[in-house]
Amino acid sequence: MAATKKRERLEVIRDIIKTINQNRKIKPTRLMFYSNLSPQMFKDYINELITKGFIKLEVGDDDKKFFSLTKKGQDFLIEYKSIENFIENFGL
Amino acid sequence: MDLLNFAIQNKEILKIFYAIIIIFICLVIVVKTHRLFHLSLHRGIRYFRNAFFFYGIGFFIRYILGAELIYKSFDGVYYSAIEFLFEFFLVMGGFFLIYSLLWKKFEGKFNPFSSFFHFRIAVFYFMSLIVVLLDNIWETYYFMFFSQIIIFIIASIIAYNNYRKNVKPGKFLKFYFIAMVLSLIAWLLNALIALILDWNKIIQSGIYIINLAVFFLFLYGVIKFTKK
Repeated sequence: MAATKKRERLEVIRDIIKTINQNRKIKPTRLMFYSNLSPQMFKDYINELITKGFIKLEVGDDDKKFFSLTKKGQDFLIEYKSIENFIENFGL
Repeated sequence: MDLLNFAIQNKEILKIFYAIIIIFICLVIVVKTHRLFHLSLHRGIRYFRNAFFFYGIGFFIRYILGAELIYKSFDGVYYSAIEFLFEFFLVMGGFFLIYSLLWKKFEGKFNPFSSFFHFRIAVFYFMSLIVVLLDNIWETYYFMFFSQIIIFIIASIIAYNNYRKNVKPGKFLKFYFIAMVLSLIAWLLNALIALILDWNKIIQSGIYIINLAVFFLFLYGVIKFTKK
C-alpha cells in the first residue's frame, strides 16, 4: 500500500488557489471536494485566504456563491516556485 | 601592517562604513522576505525576516547612534542605553533566526496574529532582557557571548542536518550551514578576545570580516531565491 505524504500547509494553499484559478469561478462545495480537506479545515483555510486577500467570495446573478482569485492570489501562483525554493533552501 | 595601522587609525569611520553595509544588507533581506511572507503566509519566512529586522536595528543603534562622533557629545547614560539596546536587539535577532528553523516543532496549528508579540516570542524577549541585564550588572559581554555561542551551536547542528537530509545538489543549504559555522566562530573569537586576549585588534578586525561574510552569504541566498 502506497503511503500518501501529508500535504504541507503551503501545498494545501497552493492546491486551493490553483483549483480556483483553473475554474476561474468555483462553488464552495465543489472547491471543498477538490481541496480534499475536512469541512472544518476547509473553512479555516478559506477564511484565512479571504482575510489575507488571496481569494474572494462573490454572489452571482442567480444568487449562488462562488470563489474567485484576487490579484494577490494570482501573484502567489506565479511566485509559488520561488517561495517553495526559498523555504527549502533556508531550511524553514 | 600598513593596512592594519590605517584600519586602527580610522577605525571609527571604518566601523560606520561596516555598519552601513550590514544595515543595507538587512534592509534588502527584510524587504524581500517581507514580500515573500505576504505572498506565502509562511511563518518560517516571517521569523527569518524578523531576525534581520532586529539585526539591522541593533547595528544601527550600536554603530550609527553609538558612533564615537555622536556619543562623545552625550553623557555616559546615553552610551549605556546604546549598549543595552544593541545587545538586546542582537540577542533577539539570534533567537528569531534559530526559531525560524524550529517554529514547526513548537507552533503546530497555532497561528499567531503577530510574529513579534505572542507567548513563545515573549519568552525570548524575557531571556534577552535577562542576558542584557546580567551583562549590565557585571559590566561584561559574557552573557551575550555565551547565549550566542549556544544559539549558533544549535543552529549549526540544525543547518548541518538540513544539509545532510537534502539530496538535491546545488542547494543553498550548504552555504546556510557555512554561515552558521562562521557566526559561531565569530562569537567564539569575541569571547576569546574579551576573556583572554584583551580585545586584540587584529582578531577584532577578523571578526568584522567574518560578520560581513555571513551577511553577504545570506544576501546572496535571499537574492538568488527571491528573484523573479
